[in-house]
Amino acid sequence: MAIEIIVPKLGLTMEEAVLVSWSFAPGDKVAKDQTVLVLETDKVSYELPSPGDGLLHPLVAPGATVKVSQVVGYLAGDQAELATLRAEPPAAETDKAQPAAAALDSRASKDRRTPSPASADLAPKRIKASPLARAMAAKEGLDLASIVGSGPAGRIVKADILRALAGVQPAVATAGAGADSPTLTPTQEIPITGIRKAIFQNMHHSLSSQAQLTLHTEASAANLVRLRRKLNQRQGKDATKVSFNALIVKAAALALRLHPLINASVEGEALKVWRQINIGVAMDLGNGLVVPKLRHPDQKGVRAISQEILVLAERAQAKKLTLADLAGGTFTVTNLGAWDIDYFTPIVNSPESAILGVGRIVEKMVPVNGQGVAEPRLSLSLTIDHRVIDGAPGAAFLKTVKEFIEEPLLMLE
Amino acid sequence: MAERRLSASAALAEALREEMTRDETIFILGEDLVSHSGIFGQFKGIPENFPGRIIDAPISETCVAGCGVGAGLTGMRPLVDFHFSDFVTCAMDELCNQAAKIRYMFGGQVKLPLVVWCPDGAGLRAAAQHSQSLEAWFVHTPGLKVVVPSEPADVKGLIKSSLRDDDPVMFFQHKRLFAKEGPVPEDADFIIPLGQAAIKRPGADLTFLTYGSGYHLCLQAAEELAAQDILAEIVDLRTLKPLDMETVAHSIQNTNRAVVVHEACVTGGFGAELAARIQVELFDYLDAPVLRVGAKDVPIPFSPVLEDYVLPSVAEVIEAARAVTYR
Repeated sequence: MAIEIIVPKLGLTMEEAVLVSWSFAPGDKVAKDQTVLVLETDKVSYELPSPGDGLLHPLVAPGATVKVSQVVGYLAGDQAELATLRAEPPAAETDKAQPAAAALDSRASKDRRTPSPASADLAPKRIKASPLARAMAAKEGLDLASIVGSGPAGRIVKADILRALAGVQPAVATAGAGADSPTLTPTQEIPITGIRKAIFQNMHHSLSSQAQLTLHTEASAANLVRLRRKLNQRQGKDATKVSFNALIVKAAALALRLHPLINASVEGEALKVWRQINIGVAMDLGNGLVVPKLRHPDQKGVRAISQEILVLAERAQAKKLTLADLAGGTFTVTNLGAWDIDYFTPIVNSPESAILGVGRIVEKMVPVNGQGVAEPRLSLSLTIDHRVIDGAPGAAFLKTVKEFIEEPLLMLE
Repeated sequence: MAERRLSASAALAEALREEMTRDETIFILGEDLVSHSGIFGQFKGIPENFPGRIIDAPISETCVAGCGVGAGLTGMRPLVDFHFSDFVTCAMDELCNQAAKIRYMFGGQVKLPLVVWCPDGAGLRAAAQHSQSLEAWFVHTPGLKVVVPSEPADVKGLIKSSLRDDDPVMFFQHKRLFAKEGPVPEDADFIIPLGQAAIKRPGADLTFLTYGSGYHLCLQAAEELAAQDILAEIVDLRTLKPLDMETVAHSIQNTNRAVVVHEACVTGGFGAELAARIQVELFDYLDAPVLRVGAKDVPIPFSPVLEDYVLPSVAEVIEAARAVTYR
């Protein structure tokens, strides 16, 4: 009996993934626990260990979107079983299964050893374009996928190609809508899928399930700036630079130790106060964001934390974060200082109960003994779930963070 | 030369007089022709000037067509008059089984010069049996040539070519266009060869492929579209068979969009043939599907309100033009 290769559920919210590649050609012998295929969800890429030994019979082409629990292939016990599988795919499979396998076979015959890469021509979504637009795009070397169609059902037409060649966005006014028409016409339609869908759902779930309250304060960053400069001067050029983020994460982690109720989640009818402190750091990907977790930053030095943040950022950009990188958060730090933001109202990364928003460090005049003195100041915003954290305990936590930032030596305590 | 304007009827009569003077084998055969010079006055001046060469036949289209085929085979150049194109059904064997096939079945040893003159079209409140546009039937019959002029000058130039042609020609002239005037060259040798379309209005945004009464719909639509900054090119096909695909292709290569407009009903109409050829021969030039505008698929109603509803309108032509230009 052939062994089914099934898409695993890699996270609570995972419903589908892209099958990026098969690691073996059809008919190849695969041993148990060898990586048989690579999946990519909206957050992670995952190498699926083979569920057993056998000869590979894939049902789904690379690049296809697959559902959790979908059977995407089989491992045949012997050549006879493989031949049977090839002849008649099991009835449970989709009608797309056979052509996909056929496509794979033809690829494999060209290059037996190389797993097929994700391929646009097998992607499920067909690009609609007029014959002329296709011919023009081919002649000019334009990728139709990068062009927004203004015709019916998004059809790419001559005008869109001409606009693309001129480097112009599609005109707003299209069929039926003149310049003065009140009818809105989109210049493009972006499907809400993948990472955007996840953000869409998580943000809405967070705000609809929690009672969120944001507290703001401002801290002197003079000592923090000085400390960071010293730390970075002490080591050679090759050492990882200590980042402000790392110092703030460290301060937050130690403050969480002193305020354990902030480091908690509602689960069912109970508030669970976590033993571990794992702080997520929000990272912008350009087309979405991810929040990989730092493990136990309360127990680590700021240089190690800086290094970890760098590694996670690289992995995030390369879409190489693992499930482990994203799981088990207890608190989140998000920093918009780079965009000159002072205060904001971050949304809690549910089921966590609080998130610290970090603004920019900017010089301000502060009164010292009646005299105005220029001082770098850092704005801080803490959003808490008021269902479980009242205003005063939340403020007390934020005050501790502020004290640690203003006097980092206090963290030694 | 000063521009001289004639009605389509007058242009036809002038051409016939010129040709009958030039070639004494030409004669006209039909029903009730002599006393009225044709029921639409289309043969004005001919009974007086060419006595005996315009002949009244019994009320039998079978007879008229059969005589035409026989006369053509035996050295004459007959023009047979069908009163209403709808009556061709009574002569289908003579036209489609005999006239169309004789040259082939005799291995090219005979020729059949024959012009079948058919007043066609709707809009005269003449009901279902006197209003049809049947050109597609004959395009579908190998061996026949099919001509559908739209303007008086085309009538003159094309009827002369048809009379001089050695093969049977179905010549459809729209009844509602008889009185419509236009410039017509006085030149007795003015000829428009069969199989030659004309770009009658240049434009860059789309091509109207049309003929007969459809041309006038397109002309009006093109005027209104120009006000919306949509520039329509009008190709008047004039002859459907042989078809001037070269001119069609040239135009579509420039505009990338085409709308076929004819008064005949859309299903199975000549637009279907054109659309099919365009998608095969010009696929990579098309920026939009080829659209067709024609009559709805019903017998032409007698009720004026319903007749106007069934026939293609300028508004429909404009709508199709906007659809293919995505405007």
